[in-house]
Amino acid sequence: MNDVAATSRFKWVGTRPIRPDGVPKVTGRAQYGADFALPGMLWGRILRSPHAHARIRSIDTSKAEALPGVKAVITAKDFPDQKNEFIGPERVAQNFWHITRNILAREKALYEGHAVAAVAAIDRATADEAAELIRVDYEVLPHVIDPDDAMKPDAPLLFEDMITRGIEPAPTKPSNISKRVEFKIGDVAAGFAEADFVIEKEFKTAAVHQAYIEPHACTVRFDPNGQAEIWASSQGHFVVRALTAKVCGMTIGDIRVYPAEIGGGFGGKTVVYLEPVAVMLAKKSGRPVKIMMSREDTFKATGPTSGASMTVKIGVTRDGKLTAAEGEFRFQAGAFPGSPVMNACMCAFAPYDIANVHSVGYDIVCNRPKSAAYRAPGSPISAFGVESVLDMLATKIGMDPLELRRKNAAKPGTQTVYGPKLAHGGYVETLNALLEHPDYKKPLGKNQGRGVASGFWFNGGGESSASVQVSQDGTIIVATGSPDIGGSRASMALMAAETFGVDYNQVRSIVADTDSVGYTHVTGGSRVTFATGMAVIDACKKIVTDLRARAAMIWDVDPEGVIWEDGQAKPASTNVGEFAPLPFNELAAKQALTGGPITAAASVNAGGMAPGFTTQFCDVEVDPETGKVTILRFVAAQDVGKAIHPSYVEGQIQGGVVQGIGWALNEEYIYNAKGQLDNAGFLDYRVPLASDLPMIEAIMIEVPNPAHPYGAKGVGEVNIVPPMAAVANAIDHAIGRRLTELPMSPPRVLEALAEGQADD
Amino acid sequence: MPAPIARVVFTAGFSRRYTAGVREFAVEAKNLRGIIKAMDQLYPGLGRHLEEETTVAIDGELHETAYFQPLKPGSEVFFIPKLEGG
Repeated sequence: MNDVAATSRFKWVGTRPIRPDGVPKVTGRAQYGADFALPGMLWGRILRSPHAHARIRSIDTSKAEALPGVKAVITAKDFPDQKNEFIGPERVAQNFWHITRNILAREKALYEGHAVAAVAAIDRATADEAAELIRVDYEVLPHVIDPDDAMKPDAPLLFEDMITRGIEPAPTKPSNISKRVEFKIGDVAAGFAEADFVIEKEFKTAAVHQAYIEPHACTVRFDPNGQAEIWASSQGHFVVRALTAKVCGMTIGDIRVYPAEIGGGFGGKTVVYLEPVAVMLAKKSGRPVKIMMSREDTFKATGPTSGASMTVKIGVTRDGKLTAAEGEFRFQAGAFPGSPVMNACMCAFAPYDIANVHSVGYDIVCNRPKSAAYRAPGSPISAFGVESVLDMLATKIGMDPLELRRKNAAKPGTQTVYGPKLAHGGYVETLNALLEHPDYKKPLGKNQGRGVASGFWFNGGGESSASVQVSQDGTIIVATGSPDIGGSRASMALMAAETFGVDYNQVRSIVADTDSVGYTHVTGGSRVTFATGMAVIDACKKIVTDLRARAAMIWDVDPEGVIWEDGQAKPASTNVGEFAPLPFNELAAKQALTGGPITAAASVNAGGMAPGFTTQFCDVEVDPETGKVTILRFVAAQDVGKAIHPSYVEGQIQGGVVQGIGWALNEEYIYNAKGQLDNAGFLDYRVPLASDLPMIEAIMIEVPNPAHPYGAKGVGEVNIVPPMAAVANAIDHAIGRRLTELPMSPPRVLEALAEGQADD
Repeated sequence: MPAPIARVVFTAGFSRRYTAGVREFAVEAKNLRGIIKAMDQLYPGLGRHLEEETTVAIDGELHETAYFQPLKPGSEVFFIPKLEGG
């Protein structure tokens, strides 16, 4: 059933109650990954490679093991090796030969910061001292970081036997190109021939870190019966359990993972780094072990998103019809294969109805940390090129850039490059919202410019579980398996209150551990409010059915004669009998008499997810003396389906935009000639601060998803897709210079001004 | 009552790898399990690839590839690479 038509009648969905995680967080009592401790606990410390690329000839741990207070030292040899094969879905196929080598290096260290060995000792100082005593004999090798350099035939090879997948016949020589992907519709050559103007441009984007405030940390206990318990913050404790079990040669049932509060993830906490190491140290020492990463470790050894280079070519007629589009996207995967380049190819032109499209992607290994997911992984990178070229085309034909987009906007029925026809709308509405925005036509001053850009993201569904318990006083516990990184506890409580028809304050929403609720996939892909929400609603509906049966028992009538309305059981008609309604709380109080505890669990593999669209505009001012770009105004319109808790939704939009502004203007990894990271800290890796930014105006467009009981769509990711292009377009309109490489930092802006590089 | 006929479509890459380049099929099935079973009979081993490597769009609407998804007469069933976000 779809309740969307009656949105105005929702009592709780769409309201803004105080967030349930607020008090513990602002009082410092929330338990994050690093806050947990156990009696007898040891401190773990990981030794990391100082070299970007080196063969490991030998590792001598004898001096470390002899140091008093050291209880265990491990290397990769303590882990079972894995088969070199890709298993699982193509886009996210996992190769455990790679994963175990990322956890602890074997034959080679493949990036500066690559974990090589680990120790556990009675205190942190002893662990640090022991790590320094481990002797690693390295043969330093030439390294490569830039994706275009890594693709060259004479580039240093990370894997001497890696043959590119996705090319037939398969190449005979190894290279750093792990995979080639391709999507195509129509005839791009014919499409370009129809165009009056064609623009082709090269772009580069920097690798940027998710920059979550909380570094990785975990505490592990390993019992003599071979079973382990893990306390850690992550975006998916069920995935932590599965990956750790596989890497450590254990069964899934041997590990229980307790989710801690999470201090940001943005995709970067969907993988494991420390947990398998801590398990092995705990197993070897017989004592609990805790490991915490420093900020430097987090920058050097955990996934940034890919840096990339790309070529984008689009054709347009004089009256604004896009006739063809072509993109080649070259993505850094980091030290092991697996960048989000396939997503980039699929999302690049998705907001547009273009008959002829060709996207090709290359997944390229290079000597930097293995890339991890980052908010709409892949889509922001390709959008930087595509949305920049669209802006140049709009200028060329003298058309408003929003009008150009509206004229070519994808709608339900539009053929996508990745195969099916689009089933959902929502894009045109975001364009209309900005075209009607009072600030969109406001005049600007000297050195100021306005830029627009749009974005597309799939949004996810999939496996989620929930269990619901009703207490004797009518309070309700809603437990799910989804770590709360964006307000999901509040959203789950709102949907439960709405489904039951009871007060929101009766509902307590928690995140349960892996043994206490059914399997739930990661909090990622903008899937939780949609998919886990469906599991919560299903569990609540089961309880409503149960409550109707209990009311029928009390009234001595058939359950079919009882309906549920406004949080009460009522007779379906006067034919059933004259009974005063039985409120939720009264039925809760009689649960022992009517059959025992009132509980229900539900699990779903949620489908029918609708994609997210957004369009944004920003005004900037460029200081021609310093090259500094100041954001004067930023407006983001996003289709959110139905905002379950609007404040959290606005927060998601603002957060995504701010991360995109950081990507646009400042954030980048700076490597020295040895391939070592020179800015592994927040002083030198500059994320935007509140003082750098105006208030981000979030406009929520509600085009409900009919597949969800309350119309929800994912809202967490698409907002990061347009900002880089929107800012680049605004800079171009401010100073007449097209910047094509991120970040557009003051030195790059000054360089562009000095070169006098004219727009195409 | 006979099961409805669905139009099954693969991406070019998927069909190159597993179906000798054939991209479209007409399959009689009442749900996605029926499609997977029929395709596996045509190309032994293909069922496992579909189950593990794809997301499915049924008349444009995306779903996880799961047996229970019902089909209507004339449904377009498009298998695309599995998606995952951040």
